Amino acid sequence: MIYNYLKIAIRNLLKYRFISFINLFGLTVGLTCCLLITTYILHEISYDKFNDQHDRIWRITRSFNNPETGAQSLHLGTIAPPFAPLLKNQFSEIENITRLLSGGSATFRYGDKMFNEEDIYFADEQFFDFFKVNVVKGDPKTALNDPMSVMLTEEVARKYFGDAEPMDKMIRMDNQLTLKVTGVYKPLPSNSHFHPNIMVSFNTLKDSTVYGESNLRTNWSNNSFFTYIKVPHGFSPERLEAKFPAFLDEHMADVGSRFKPSQWTKLHLQKLTDIHLHSHLDYEAEENGDIKRVYIFSAIALFVLLIACINYMNLSTARSALRAREIGVRKVVGARRKEIIAQFLTESVIVCWLAIILAFALTWLLIPYLNQVSGQDLSINILLRWQVMVPLVLVPFVVGIMSGLYPALFMSSFQPVKVLKGMFKVGGGNVSFRKVLVTAQFAISIALIICTTVVYRQMNYMQQKALGFDREHVLSLPYINTLSNSYESFRNELLSNASVLNAGRSSRIPTSRLLDASGTRIMRGDSLAPVSADIKYVVADKDFINTYGVKIVAGRNFSRDFSTDSASFLINEAAARVLGFASAQDAIGKRMGYGGRDGQLVGVFNDFHFESLHQQIVPLVLFIPRNENTYNRISIKISGNNIPAALAHIEKTWKRFLPDVPWQYNFLDESYDRLYQSEQRQGTIFTIFAGIAIFIACLGLFGLSAFTITQRIKEIGIRKVLGASTTRIVTLLSRDFMILVAIAALIAFPIAGTAMYAWLQDFAYRTTMSWWIFPLAGIIALMVALATICFQAVKAALANPVKSLRTE
Amino acid sequence: MIKIKDLEKIYRTEEVETVALNKLSLEVKEGEFVAVMGPSGCGKSTLLNILGLLDDPDGGSFMFNNIEVAHFNERKRADLRKHNIGFVFQSFNLIDELTVFENVELPLIYTGVKSAERKKRVEEVLDKMQIMHRRNHYPQQLSGGQQQRVAVARAVVNRPKLILADEPTGNLDSSNGNEVMQLLTDLNEQGTTIVMVTHSEHDARYSHRIIRMLDGQTVLENIMV
Ligand SMILES: Nc1ncnc2c1ncn2[C@@H]1O[C@H](COP(=O)(O)OP(=O)(O)OP(=O)(O)O)[C@@H](O)[C@H]1O
Ligand SMILES: [Mg+2]
Repeated sequence: MIYNYLKIAIRNLLKYRFISFINLFGLTVGLTCCLLITTYILHEISYDKFNDQHDRIWRITRSFNNPETGAQSLHLGTIAPPFAPLLKNQFSEIENITRLLSGGSATFRYGDKMFNEEDIYFADEQFFDFFKVNVVKGDPKTALNDPMSVMLTEEVARKYFGDAEPMDKMIRMDNQLTLKVTGVYKPLPSNSHFHPNIMVSFNTLKDSTVYGESNLRTNWSNNSFFTYIKVPHGFSPERLEAKFPAFLDEHMADVGSRFKPSQWTKLHLQKLTDIHLHSHLDYEAEENGDIKRVYIFSAIALFVLLIACINYMNLSTARSALRAREIGVRKVVGARRKEIIAQFLTESVIVCWLAIILAFALTWLLIPYLNQVSGQDLSINILLRWQVMVPLVLVPFVVGIMSGLYPALFMSSFQPVKVLKGMFKVGGGNVSFRKVLVTAQFAISIALIICTTVVYRQMNYMQQKALGFDREHVLSLPYINTLSNSYESFRNELLSNASVLNAGRSSRIPTSRLLDASGTRIMRGDSLAPVSADIKYVVADKDFINTYGVKIVAGRNFSRDFSTDSASFLINEAAARVLGFASAQDAIGKRMGYGGRDGQLVGVFNDFHFESLHQQIVPLVLFIPRNENTYNRISIKISGNNIPAALAHIEKTWKRFLPDVPWQYNFLDESYDRLYQSEQRQGTIFTIFAGIAIFIACLGLFGLSAFTITQRIKEIGIRKVLGASTTRIVTLLSRDFMILVAIAALIAFPIAGTAMYAWLQDFAYRTTMSWWIFPLAGIIALMVALATICFQAVKAALANPVKSLRTE
Repeated sequence: MIKIKDLEKIYRTEEVETVALNKLSLEVKEGEFVAVMGPSGCGKSTLLNILGLLDDPDGGSFMFNNIEVAHFNERKRADLRKHNIGFVFQSFNLIDELTVFENVELPLIYTGVKSAERKKRVEEVLDKMQIMHRRNHYPQQLSGGQQQRVAVARAVVNRPKLILADEPTGNLDSSNGNEVMQLLTDLNEQGTTIVMVTHSEHDARYSHRIIRMLDGQTVLENIMV
């Protein structure tokens, strides 16, 4: 029986090649999208699960809040170093604890090989008890015990030592420390939430030239230590979190403040496997993913599949008219209804099988391209496990039955007497169901067009938004402390070339986050009184404002001419507002205290977007530091006329002043682009998949209209003989579809509108959702539909009626 | 074998009600060859469809082998039909996607005959219909006469007790028509009951008995000698 089903299924597929092709093609493309998205989603949800005990590992994070209002001002993925040993002592449920400090980037040197390295971490020997690392050389139990030990990834080791033995070699870090290589390991997989390239032993920090033992014990304000705990199964995070406030009050009592520590700071627990998708704190090891993105792409995958299935249902039921006689005959010679149903389901399952095989091959071919546009590191291997393969083998049955059941039920209900008499016509009950399906397809397409437009406009908005500062042709270099003595001559040398316009130093540069803050005091009566306003600070020299072309709206910039400027402040308009000044001008000349400093407000600058557009502009204060080593970056403004010459000049100057530091720089607008890279990529991928969905929908429409028109060839012929014009016939044929598009638009508008409104809420600065996007999407859908239909309708209308009548 | 009493069939459309069978009574004995004749629209095909359990009557009784089948549901009718009744149509009704062999094999598949047995039986009837050499051809590659022989082969392959033929020669020229009539006669001689609708007096003469219909009723019976 099955053999007979298979045989006739294959012959039918070959006989109705056009429709089979559209069906197969649509399903293949749909399934390929689904597989690609599945690969992405599986990768996203697999983060950190490769660690054997991932379900027992939690990260401790710390938040700060205003003690009076309770409003949270900062939540870091990291905590201060003294916490770890105290926590381990106090709470028996903490079996083990490990700390990790990001060392950012540094210069490493071995012999004449010198490179700038990124993703350096200080890690303790417990690290390997938490995280699964393939250590190929050295003993993970001891490699990070001793101070001045370092472990390298295989790649890094190869860079310095080539094929020679790296173990026990001495390597210089930042021309400051001599580290002994005690281990080599394979890089962590892409689905880890951090990727240390170099791990320096945590005990190295105890060296007072590096960080200092007492700092590790007492510095409650350097919250940059990632701290992970391992707990037993059945651990209750709520119960431990509830004990934290008392813990804070006990151990931080000596931290000077008129409030209890638990009133202004909190510790939180975060499951290791939740970090990648659910954690968006102010300080993270790397940029994380987002569960919302996972949902969005799951929805797209489902939509695409749904559209492909709808195509299948539509075309198969439409085609059923051609097969009515076959079904009639089968029934006459004894087929039962369920046997007819089985036959049609066999056909759709076969098509799905073919589609899934093709889709698998296509996925395999396309993953490298997806990686390219998405910046991901996906591999088809993630699909090759039973948890995926078993459902995948079932997919053809599910999709096949889903899309084949309606046509099967519909066709098996044919009455043999009627169909054999030729009484069966396309139409009747199934037409309205088909209309519902086509409407659903259009609705999805229109919604996707709206979403794509909004996403695109937001991307564009971020690219073009006036930021209040000049990011073109600004170069950013690391500030090296040894420059402090000779900075003026270094700067003069830089400016001696006409294409270098300005250079300024600061602790942070635009595009990075603003995370540093101290307490602010302003004059109340005749003394300085603290205000509850949360103002962030950046240390900057007198050239910073000008290098970035930031506008001073009142007062003046720092200046060489005022010796008192070492104590002066510049604030932005937002800060002037929260401090309660009536206007920017009103702030000028006022006395202010900030942290341990006491000085005068000399200027107010324009609210510019220091941080990304995801963040609101926050109150900000600039001051000149007492210690020049607190500068981290030098920003250099060059003219756009001769960039290579400017770069060459800066490099030459750098090498003259800093022969031991590798020359490195980046352009600010590149960093700026990186801020939005993940959105850009998300936008691109979204557009691609939405485009595919719309394409498949059109394909279905194309097939369906081709089919409907074939069915009406005779009618068209008669109408023409009776004198109907081509236009009238085209109108007649397209009118039905246009009504469907209109209904679909009414369904799609509110859904897409709500979804995109929610999406835009993620951006502090966002484009408007202009009303015209909606009719535009509707019109695009209509045009595409019309183009598809007209192509066929015109062909049919232009055909010689004598010919079409004779074919009957 | 067939005993019909006061059979009624009424077609209702929005405007009109057509009484296709009007209290028709009829009996067909096992081994008989009956021809049904009458003007167009008098209800011949309707009668045949009901006899073949393709359609259900609106009233009256229909005993098939002494079982009342007038109110059988679709599944029961299909089961009874596939074991007992073969059909031959005016327009052949072969499935274009299947070869001659596969078309003839189809009823056996639906009655669950094993593959080896199927092959044997199909080849047997194809031989008998002298169409064996075309077994791997598709219907469109055959002449009308050949197609109708395949259709007859398909109707008899299940060894039904009853064959219903609705104008089996209607689309054939006289020599092909005669061949088909000869086939039916041979089958009848081997014991198969046949009810045939025809417009041709010539074809009707192959039968034992001619039933003439008018407006949904039998009006005359001629016994042939
Ligand atoms: N499905 C139907 N709906 C409405 N009326 C029908 C239907 N089928 C048949 N009729 C009507 O029933 C009557 C009998 O039809 P039937 O097909 O049995 O005639 P027939 O004797 O076979 O004619 P012909 O010799 O032309 O084949 C006719 O008047 C026909 O119009
Ligand atoms: Mg008839």
